[in-house]
Amino acid sequence: MMRPSTFWFLTRRGIRNLGKHWAMTVACIASLSVCMTLNTFASLAEVNVDSMVNYLGNQNETVVYLDPDCDDATAQQVGDTIAAMDGVTNVQYVSKQDVLDTYRGYMQDYSSLWDEFETDNPFKANYRVSIRDLSQMEAMSKKLQAIPGVYSVTAPVEMTNVFVQIQQSVTRVGRGIVLVLMIVSVITVGSTIRLSVFARRREIEIMKYVGATNGLVTLPFVVEGLAMGLISGALTAAVTVGAYSYMVQASDGLGGVWQMIMGQALVPVSAVWPTILTYSLAGGAIVGGLGSMFSIRKHLNV
Amino acid sequence: MIDFEHVSKEYKKGGPLALEDINFHVDEGEFVFLLGHSGAGKSTLLKLILREETPTEGKVTVLGKDVAHLRRHQVPYLRRQMGIIFQDFRLIPSMTVYENVAFAMHVTNVKRKEIADRVDYMLELVHLEDKASAYPDTLSGGEQQRVAVARALAHSPKLVIADEPTGNIDPELSLEMMELLERVSEMGITVLVVTHEHDLVRKFHQRVVTLKKGRIISDVPADKEAIRARPDHKDRALYDEPMELTLESEEKEAATV
Repeated sequence: MMRPSTFWFLTRRGIRNLGKHWAMTVACIASLSVCMTLNTFASLAEVNVDSMVNYLGNQNETVVYLDPDCDDATAQQVGDTIAAMDGVTNVQYVSKQDVLDTYRGYMQDYSSLWDEFETDNPFKANYRVSIRDLSQMEAMSKKLQAIPGVYSVTAPVEMTNVFVQIQQSVTRVGRGIVLVLMIVSVITVGSTIRLSVFARRREIEIMKYVGATNGLVTLPFVVEGLAMGLISGALTAAVTVGAYSYMVQASDGLGGVWQMIMGQALVPVSAVWPTILTYSLAGGAIVGGLGSMFSIRKHLNV
Repeated sequence: MIDFEHVSKEYKKGGPLALEDINFHVDEGEFVFLLGHSGAGKSTLLKLILREETPTEGKVTVLGKDVAHLRRHQVPYLRRQMGIIFQDFRLIPSMTVYENVAFAMHVTNVKRKEIADRVDYMLELVHLEDKASAYPDTLSGGEQQRVAVARALAHSPKLVIADEPTGNIDPELSLEMMELLERVSEMGITVLVVTHEHDLVRKFHQRVVTLKKGRIISDVPADKEAIRARPDHKDRALYDEPMELTLESEEKEAATV
């Protein structure tokens, strides 16, 4: 069992080695930070495109028209049934009068024409339904159609399918990019750490000759790797959160449709920074720590 | 302490033998010179003692352990009972003199207080107490070798192996180094000095095992009379104060037993 004093001695050594081998430290931190920043940006892009597609998809609600003959109690029951359905995120009741008022608003110059309909309203009361998973819209429409008291269901299935396909493609491409970048990161960072360990193989050899176990030899290197990983993680978080905040602010000045889409769909900074910070620190620590541990292994057979 | 029984070593199957049918025994507290030219097999013999290599044939026993049967994770515990001095010093460049000496004790799990006292004592012993916070690359060859000696002795080893310890220092310092090792041996610690310097070896009249082309060609025992008659013996000792090479914790342990 290692004494605490030995543990601290070796831990201090690991931290101090960051300064002693500063050139290698800078190289490792730089390569790790660049790789993790690219990864984080790719993930952020994926999350935001996903959010945008979801936002646009949700603008196309499913409209459930009620049977003109159904009474208020049935209409209420239909509303309750829809609200209780799995996957429904929002249900809004629109009465016949609401529909009429809406159209009256569109054609104010011909207001008198609409007066004809006050006594005999031809519109149907309806529910506007938003669903969580757009890919389920077609199946959901069939379920809605089957509810007693429902006259018909209008759902923008084809348009939604396009959105779903875009979303799935973006997700696939995004994950592919993240995976490739992760592999590149591991190779780049692994090579840099291996180079750093190789430059100090003599030191490892000496430690082994004086009777250090593999654990004792490895500890300072792992501490060093962890520290480099945490520094890289903090840098990555600072750069990505800073750049993302700037992008979110800049989207305000876009104007028109883009501002409407971006303003509504861009995931706010407050929602992403804790995740970015956590994943960057954890990712850096894992890659740095494990990278050092694996790089040192082949030099331990002395 | 060290026992070689019909030991042969070949690095490549069917290749030349680095060692061939080596038989020799070193007793506890003995001082032995292992003499031979380059390529004689000295390094291979050391690698077998350090369990860096295992014999192709025969049996090597070091400190009561058959090295071929030691598992990898047991090797550090064998080495902790040894102190090794290399020709090129092999100090860790990123550690100060103090830390280099302390490191050997940290790995053997010695208490911090004891490490501090011991390192101070060892540095005093090799007259480097004022260089404790210096880094190896700022020291002369002789000073670096003395740090290596302090490190080798710090954790109270049972066996000290010196591989060409005088190879990188001047003749005057070489004599001092050998005297120091001789004194270590007088404390009951086994000392094995690998060298190719015949002249230096002759001055000490200690046991000399000579290797040539992987075989032992002579094993001359120590000449006790000649050692006692040596004018430099005792009188010319560089380090006159009595040496204390047992760790405090070991003394307590012995007292308890």
